Amino acid sequence: MRQYKNLVKVLILVCIVLSMAGCWDKTELDEKAYVIGLGLDTHEKAGKIKVTYLIANPEVGSQQSGGGTNEPPQEIVTFVANDFISSRNTANTVISKEISYDLLSVIIVSEELARKPDFVRVMYSAAKDREIKRSAELIVTKEKAEKFITDNKPTLETRPHKFFEVKIGRGKETGMIPDTDLNDFFQVSESDSDLFLGIYATTETEEGDEGAASDDDFMAGEIHFGGKEKAAQFAGAAVFKEGMMIGKITGEETRISSLLDNTWELQDFITAFQDPFDGQYRISARLAKPRKNTYQFKQQSGRPVIDIKVPMYIEILSDPSLVNFSKNEEKIVELKKSLTTSMEEHLTQYIKYTQEEFKGDTFHLSIPIRKNFATLKEFREFDWMKSYPDAEINVSVDIRFGEFGRQTKLPSLQELRD
Amino acid sequence: MLKEMLRLFKKQQNQEPPAKDKVVGERTDLKEQQFSSNLQENLSVIRTLYSIPDNKDVKLREMYLEGFNKNAALVFISTITDVKSIEENILKPLVENTSANKKVKDIVSIQMVHEVGIFKDAVKDMNKGNALLLLDGEAKAYILDCPDFQSRAIEKPETEVLIKGPKEAFNEKVVANISLLRKKIKNENLIFESIEVSQRSHNDVFIVYIRGLANEKLVDNIKERLGSLEVNAIQNLSLLEEYIEERNYSLFPSVLTTERPDRAASFLEDGYIALLMDNSPDSLILPATFWAFFHSPEDHYLKIHYGNFTRALRMVALFITIFTSAIYIAITTFHAEMIPPDLLLAIASSRERVPFPAVIEILIMETAFELIREAGLRVPSPIGPTIGIVGALILGQAAVEANIISPIVIIVVALGGLSSFAVSDLSLNFAVRLIRFAFILCAAMIGIYGMTAFFAAGIFYLVSLKSFGVPYLAPLSPNYKSSKDTIFRRLVKNEKLRPGFLKTSDSQKKSDGA
Amino acid sequence: MKQNKGKIGIKEYIAIIALTVGTKLSDDTPSIIFENARNAGWIAVLLMGAMAIIPIILLIKVFSAHPDKNLHEVIIHLFGRFFGNILSIALLLAGVASVTVDTGTYVDIIGTMYFTKTPTSIIYMVLMLVCAYGAKRGIEQIASVAWVLIPYLKITLFIAFLVSFNSGHFDFIFPIWGEGKMEIVKSSIKNVSIFSDFLFIGLIAPLVVSFKDFKKGTIIGLFIVVFEISLALISYVMLFDYTTAELLNYPFHETIRYIEIGFLPNVETLFFPFWLVATFIRFSFYLYLSAILLGGILKIEEFEYLIPLITIIILLLGLAPDSPSIYLYIMRQKLLMLLSPAFLCLPPLMWLIAKIRGDFKNEAVQESS
Repeated sequence: MRQYKNLVKVLILVCIVLSMAGCWDKTELDEKAYVIGLGLDTHEKAGKIKVTYLIANPEVGSQQSGGGTNEPPQEIVTFVANDFISSRNTANTVISKEISYDLLSVIIVSEELARKPDFVRVMYSAAKDREIKRSAELIVTKEKAEKFITDNKPTLETRPHKFFEVKIGRGKETGMIPDTDLNDFFQVSESDSDLFLGIYATTETEEGDEGAASDDDFMAGEIHFGGKEKAAQFAGAAVFKEGMMIGKITGEETRISSLLDNTWELQDFITAFQDPFDGQYRISARLAKPRKNTYQFKQQSGRPVIDIKVPMYIEILSDPSLVNFSKNEEKIVELKKSLTTSMEEHLTQYIKYTQEEFKGDTFHLSIPIRKNFATLKEFREFDWMKSYPDAEINVSVDIRFGEFGRQTKLPSLQELRD
Repeated sequence: MLKEMLRLFKKQQNQEPPAKDKVVGERTDLKEQQFSSNLQENLSVIRTLYSIPDNKDVKLREMYLEGFNKNAALVFISTITDVKSIEENILKPLVENTSANKKVKDIVSIQMVHEVGIFKDAVKDMNKGNALLLLDGEAKAYILDCPDFQSRAIEKPETEVLIKGPKEAFNEKVVANISLLRKKIKNENLIFESIEVSQRSHNDVFIVYIRGLANEKLVDNIKERLGSLEVNAIQNLSLLEEYIEERNYSLFPSVLTTERPDRAASFLEDGYIALLMDNSPDSLILPATFWAFFHSPEDHYLKIHYGNFTRALRMVALFITIFTSAIYIAITTFHAEMIPPDLLLAIASSRERVPFPAVIEILIMETAFELIREAGLRVPSPIGPTIGIVGALILGQAAVEANIISPIVIIVVALGGLSSFAVSDLSLNFAVRLIRFAFILCAAMIGIYGMTAFFAAGIFYLVSLKSFGVPYLAPLSPNYKSSKDTIFRRLVKNEKLRPGFLKTSDSQKKSDGA
Repeated sequence: MKQNKGKIGIKEYIAIIALTVGTKLSDDTPSIIFENARNAGWIAVLLMGAMAIIPIILLIKVFSAHPDKNLHEVIIHLFGRFFGNILSIALLLAGVASVTVDTGTYVDIIGTMYFTKTPTSIIYMVLMLVCAYGAKRGIEQIASVAWVLIPYLKITLFIAFLVSFNSGHFDFIFPIWGEGKMEIVKSSIKNVSIFSDFLFIGLIAPLVVSFKDFKKGTIIGLFIVVFEISLALISYVMLFDYTTAELLNYPFHETIRYIEIGFLPNVETLFFPFWLVATFIRFSFYLYLSAILLGGILKIEEFEYLIPLITIIILLLGLAPDSPSIYLYIMRQKLLMLLSPAFLCLPPLMWLIAKIRGDFKNEAVQESS
């Protein structure tokens, strides 16, 4: 009896001591500084990079009943470090709380750094750190990441995590920026058969003429916006080969790539085509892919021949030439033909461009090709990356029309002007 | 292993010699006497035993019976006997009797008469509200049954309130309780055996079971246990509960207390055993499994979907009440990456001004909640509503505004506290509340790992608990044939089998033709 | 329905198998399989299942001749006392070693993935304490807990798979034969001992209610776990592609960190407790088995008192290695390679000896008489 009582007392004491000394991993929520965006730039010294932290201020926008603060919504710090793991402690000379990567959603890299061959080494620290999620986004900026983060001042979404979340989310829906993240970067770089597309953005607007060839044939920064918006522009993609950036493509080209890619989902793809009935005007249409593409692969005298069939489902949203489609069925056929040719042309052009310029495909073509090989060894011997520039790729588009807008019948121009 | 050590120690220490006179002041020497033929001798013994005339309600009525030509005396305790019945059915016939040949049994028209030979039995029966008739010249006494204790009338249940279903509750008179039970089970095999526990107060415990359904061994086991109690006084069932439970230090109750006769009757019909006692407006049901505490009779009185919905809700409430505060602490201190960013920033901002770490906040709020709860129980009704308002005001608005706690903690604790009311049984309610604190401490020490470790250990413990030989989580865990009424119930006509773990003799509740 | 003391029914038996062997998909076993077979790992697992059927059936046959003996007693009966004891000691050492390595690995998982700053010894102690408590309660309790909790564990696992199938790309599985058919076979043979648990399950054979239940339960359990593990391997490849899936230490935990369910960006904390509960049950069961075997060798009837002893030994051994994630991985590989031939050869050997000794004839005689 006595022994039992003593045992219990000792146990309780041990528990109390443990609870005082312990709780090793415990940090209160307000003891952490949450980094939303991580900026990486080059530095003159070899082996070192410049790290920029975009830290969210929890008090902004957190109280429903007003009573907010006058503090700015974010805090930005820049300094030199070896990589962004050891920089966590260096930052504490200025930042008052423990740096936490729990809310890290974007990694912003300057184009300069991305073009360096050592870029991959820097990125692999992200794979090792426990707090960085593999679903973080990779953004390449034209200017230095530091400048990008400082100059980015959106008017409406002042809280930084919200801004990046909705901006990138919407951008992916329209297809202007590629639907990729850090996981894809590692996967594509390691499998070494495709090219990786990273999101391209900038805050600098360029001087250029106001009427570009097509609505989305632009890069980030090339569109001029009136009004008072000073947010960054997200459009186009940066092309990476084997972990290093080798070029960039425009918004339109990104969209084309998404049409050819089986792994991306198109959600809200609105674009304009040349009107076959009146060359001055362009018809707006919404594109959707009802099924996945199909790929046929043959080897002909050492050259791979690939046929891609892209099924499309198009809804015509505008009719500037006021052709009355509902009355004229042959016009619909004509429209279909013209759209098919136009799309096939664009797609083939883009594929040729990737074959010559980048010598790799940006749309995960190696994955359907893999089906035709029995083992990985054969696939490696085939070396898709080398065979791609010589491959002959034929694209055929299969269009089905959907709706023609809310009001399909339109008045004829003569009647109107009468 | 510790238990063996304990047993050895106890054996060493339990070596007191048995006392001679187990209960002091019981005058066993007098009580063991036999009745003598002399009326006055008997009466003097009675006077000593009952301290007449100090004891004001013990009445001694001496008379001379014409018919028998003898002196007689009637002793009874007027406050616990039906005096009217005594006057009309005993005194009147006796006094008016003229024939000398009739026996007492044939003259009195009281319900039951029997004879006793020693004082002990006479005193025992008199204490139970019966009257004692002594005749001069007869070395025995007659006990006439006419008890009438005062008590409450049959009222509505206070703690187990149902919307749809019978609204009678047990009350403190065991006779009334027995009558309620017999009203529900009109079967001659419904047996009410009684055993006396407690040596000074002479309280009787009634064991209720249906012969032919309940397991005989179980009944014998219980009778043995009750018989072996050597305690001075066990006033009511709540005290008895502690004596017959196997594990007193366990958090989980192993006997069920219910104040509803319909519930008791349904358990009896399944083959369980009930205990009734005077002064207890409830009954104990043994053996009790976890499901007995979890289920409420309303589940069966409602339609199947409503009943299952209530059950699911109760299960969810059980989990919410045990885990919410602990999960809040674990997530905000150890696993902050789980929270969606907007919520995370909101909580971080509201926590900046609060001086305490999250654990202390939660503990303060939980303690305050428990205090309000206890206070609410004991507060006299005129002041009742005021306490509610004061409590809500103080704990709600003012604490937040004074930056003592953050608003989300109030939500978490209030949610947990309210959900705990969904568990209807009182004992399980307490068990749940205590476990909640244990989980909070574990979460504070090692986050979700600690919580899960404690939970796993708890489940191992729960599964190994046995209540009178029946595993606690039967029929879910060791797989017995039963009506499969565990978390969800089935249609009443599909619940065909009795619980197999009770080892009843007749395991079919209804024939297949139904 | 009468329920005998100390026996477990078929449902609980299958639950135990599904939990102890099935949980292997959540530690570094997939990386070991991926190392050779690459993205055809799932085929390797199916092959392993097929290879394992033969020893298991032979084992069951041997047990059918000795219905009330557990594995140790059967070994003694077949091989004689001297060799039988040596064999049992070898099995015990292998068992304890693999439990040590496994617990070390799991503690490492918890440490690196979730609790970085907490000292390993604390995590280890908590794990061992809970498992020892569970093991001490007895096999019926472990079985009951397994049966009570298994629906929830499997449902959450299923949800994780569903979400990762959604986020992943099915085409990553091709080329279908992975590195090559020879590589798949190599990987299967090296690692077939992930099913060696079935050998040790023979230790509780007499505790299952009836022999028919034991037989049925083992076969059903085998099918279930083979299905589970190959499904898991498919989902890892679908999500991460073959190069990455091989590089990851613990693919299951990487998966639950990557997937997003609706508005919750990080759901690992949701799946973590369920995985933990499965772990606790698994190691309680292993501790109990080790105690039975040790008790059998040392001829101790009340082997439950050996559990604290074994726990402390495992605890101390598991804390010993220097850099756990690397060292334990290597140890695990070596152990798997070592146990595979034992698992493949031992039951046929036992069956042969039983046949030679005429145990099956006795059974035929018994049945006819």
